[in-house]
Amino acid sequence: MHNYLSLMLSAALVNNVILARFLGLCSFMGVTTRVDTAVGMGLATTFVITVSSMLDWALEAYLLQPFGLGYLRTVTFILVIAAAVQFTEMTVRKVSPPLFQMLGIYLPLITTNCAVLGVTLLLAEGKMSFIASTLFAFASSLGYSLVMVIFAGLRERLVLADVPRLFAGPPIGFITASLLALAFMGFSGMGT
Amino acid sequence: MNKISSDKDLALIEGVARVVAIEGDVAWLEPEQSTSCGGCTSSPACGEKGLGTVASRLAARRFPITDHPGLAVGERVVVGVRGDALMKAAATAYAVPLMALLVAGGIAQWAADNDGITLAASVVGLALGLGLAHLGAIRLRGVITPRFLRRAGSSPVCHLT
Repeated sequence: MHNYLSLMLSAALVNNVILARFLGLCSFMGVTTRVDTAVGMGLATTFVITVSSMLDWALEAYLLQPFGLGYLRTVTFILVIAAAVQFTEMTVRKVSPPLFQMLGIYLPLITTNCAVLGVTLLLAEGKMSFIASTLFAFASSLGYSLVMVIFAGLRERLVLADVPRLFAGPPIGFITASLLALAFMGFSGMGT
Repeated sequence: MNKISSDKDLALIEGVARVVAIEGDVAWLEPEQSTSCGGCTSSPACGEKGLGTVASRLAARRFPITDHPGLAVGERVVVGVRGDALMKAAATAYAVPLMALLVAGGIAQWAADNDGITLAASVVGLALGLGLAHLGAIRLRGVITPRFLRRAGSSPVCHLT
């Protein structure tokens, strides 16, 4: 149990997908103009990363490794992620059309989100058990969502701040992101 | 959905939509903004119309409103949903199935300690979670339905270079 907690803490904070591994930066800058959109995108990404990591673990364990097809890993994982996004889209539309109207906007963005592929490839290299792999993927995506929400909150406040004209907009956003990354570096001392 | 306004002490998230059809008392609307940049109202014309393009996704996200005061096809309107609705919707659609998946997987791992059984239990948990999400979505129906707020101005042009 303690090992699983350490694994999740490490995946979410110490090796944060966005601020330590620098994955998913396009959605990090693009969808963080408001907190509620960041929450929507974060939860959708959490769902897709967890589900696709489960499928990828099964493919890796029962198909790619036993038959020596490791060279097909990247292509296969991309296919699985696209299928998982499509499955999520169809499921949300079936479960509730109003939910799909509200949340469907985020799903196409996840297909091209390198954080999803990055996490699944890390899992394949880590050769973990199924439950450890699923928890790692879930915690990584929670870390992604956490940073998205924190950054969206900061950007909402930045809109009201008196920023020099040359820094207004994306420049001050990037500076804020770098300060946030420095703050998250503080977690790297945990567990040592 | 890009602005906030206040309506009876509840923050509303506003978005611009275009009327695409009128059927009796029901007006069918398509949301205009569908890109991550959120700044271009020309997004339906950005790519070829077909499966998987922005235009086809907009058609899939078409929604009805009934409280429209004499709208005409082609008109741009501002619609709104309650500020907390998006979070409730996201939690219902994604968090409930995920929690069910993780709980089922955790119990199976604790009981059987076998990767195959844990995988199967997680899939069953996911299916159960989707069923629960369906029930939750029925309860949320009134909260997440967009409401007509006012007519919007003329369409701004794409400013991206």
